[in-house]
Amino acid sequence: MVGQVVISGLLAGALYAMVALGLGLIFGVMRVLNVAHGPLLMLGAYTTFWLFHWFGLNPYLSLLVSMPALFVVGVVLQRLLVRRVVDAPELSSLLLLFGVGIALVNVTQLAFTSDLRSVEYLTGSFVWGPFAFSKSRVIACAFAIVITAGAFWFLQKTRLGKALRAVSQSREVAQVCGVNVQRIHMLAFGFASALAAAGGSLVAVMVAIQPEMGQVYTFKSFLVIVLGGAGNYPGALVGGLLLGLVEQLSSLFLTTQVNEAVAYVLLVLVLLVRPTGLFKGRAS
Amino acid sequence: MKRLLLAGFTVLLVVLAFYPMGGTGYGVRTMLQLFMWIALAQSWNLISGLTGYVSFGHVAFFGMGAYTTAILVTKLGWPWLAACLAGGVTAMALALVIGWPCLRLKGPYFAIAMLGLNEVLRVIVSYYEGLTGGGSGLSMPTLHASVPIYYAMGLVALLVTALAYVIVTSRFGLRLMTIREDEVAAESMGIDTFRYKLYAFLLSALAPGIVGGLAARDQGYIEPMSVFPLITTITMIVMVLFGGKGTIWGPVLGAVLLFTFQEIVWARFIYLHQLIFGGIIIAVVLLMPRGILGVLQQKYNLPRTI
Repeated sequence: MVGQVVISGLLAGALYAMVALGLGLIFGVMRVLNVAHGPLLMLGAYTTFWLFHWFGLNPYLSLLVSMPALFVVGVVLQRLLVRRVVDAPELSSLLLLFGVGIALVNVTQLAFTSDLRSVEYLTGSFVWGPFAFSKSRVIACAFAIVITAGAFWFLQKTRLGKALRAVSQSREVAQVCGVNVQRIHMLAFGFASALAAAGGSLVAVMVAIQPEMGQVYTFKSFLVIVLGGAGNYPGALVGGLLLGLVEQLSSLFLTTQVNEAVAYVLLVLVLLVRPTGLFKGRAS
Repeated sequence: MKRLLLAGFTVLLVVLAFYPMGGTGYGVRTMLQLFMWIALAQSWNLISGLTGYVSFGHVAFFGMGAYTTAILVTKLGWPWLAACLAGGVTAMALALVIGWPCLRLKGPYFAIAMLGLNEVLRVIVSYYEGLTGGGSGLSMPTLHASVPIYYAMGLVALLVTALAYVIVTSRFGLRLMTIREDEVAAESMGIDTFRYKLYAFLLSALAPGIVGGLAARDQGYIEPMSVFPLITTITMIVMVLFGGKGTIWGPVLGAVLLFTFQEIVWARFIYLHQLIFGGIIIAVVLLMPRGILGVLQQKYNLPRTI
């Protein structure tokens, strides 16, 4: 029982880590909390749904469409709106992105209605000894690991990735060293949106798709980056896995309804006890 | 000019005081909601407009007041006015419990913590079914008291505006604004920043608690989703921002304008209202972050205590 729960937790956690990495990138680079991260994820899920519905495209192949598409959305958002509030007090960016979020949700409602939709693609489970895991979750986890690994490779090895990390350490110094900070900001928002889209496409196979599905992921991503330490990208990975584990373990003892609050309680506790994250993050 | 404004304000108060005698039931309830929004916006302004600490879960105090009132009325049979005042007290108690640890958090972390706490509270309320009715909510016995609630709500709005005036013109208010401009500097000048932030936070929780109780009593039925929605917090914030953050009359102006706009426009575009609201938020943040009064203040060199 516990083994099953632990593995389920890790499966879910890999996905959280990937989605939260996007939120963490934006926060690390711009000190902006993207409240619209969930709605972006929702757009990714709808992309997958419609591609599957209209063209019968394999949901996992649709990642190749949803990620670039949302990358562009992210870049445009940054270019048009977020750029103007990066240096303003946090209230401005919080509100602006909240506005973007509800507008996206509303547009989706108008375009696609609030009906629950699902992609019926992979059903059934892998059985391995005493454990059983739904196929869609295992595959989503595998994809999440590959995409997250790709993101880390990009951050560690490429010049752009290094520039991005440099901006998140110190914008002024990076600028003096010749990094085009505006471009890095756009890139960061684009990548973050692409990661959210990947999350959306992967959960599209597992959960019901509706315009307001994204909100919980916004909160969970907050928690993950708080757990991991803001601006600490590997920390986000551990934070994601930890959140997955805690949620699954607590579901053993608590009713579903109360279990929803576990993430929030954890969020508040961690903020109070260790605002810099469980691992040494960058202090605000 | 000052006299003229004062005279105008007095006339307005007299008109509002006699309004329920001539107005329709619908009109009275609409005005009552307007008063509610004025009180909420004004309260948010006390903590966030003055100290710069963004209370992103301020609706928690509204919900706390609503539930306190509903529980006292249904389980203990308290009269509604006493129950609503008790709602203000429990909201302040909640603010003390939340503020004591959370006001040490800086910047976005405080905002996230407040957001999280509101959600926690909502889940707790849904869970303790014996006391709160859980997800199915609480119904209070019907009460035809729109007119008394109208006066109570109006009085709260008036008092909290007066409170804002007293604070902004006092040394206490100056200390709060110093914290907003530069907390480290404030601290090195000898201001016990934590203590003053906590005082402001407590004061900002009182009116939402009372108003939450009044609104609950007026509607007669509450449930977790209806009294803890994030959108209520956002509406308060947008009202304050639109009118002028950190000013005395800004929240009132913002509440009146946005509420009127909502009443007129949203009823016609029911499917578009979130989109329109999102657009308003974006426009306010980008185009006039100082708000109407903030802009006027700068342009015409108006006094700080506007």
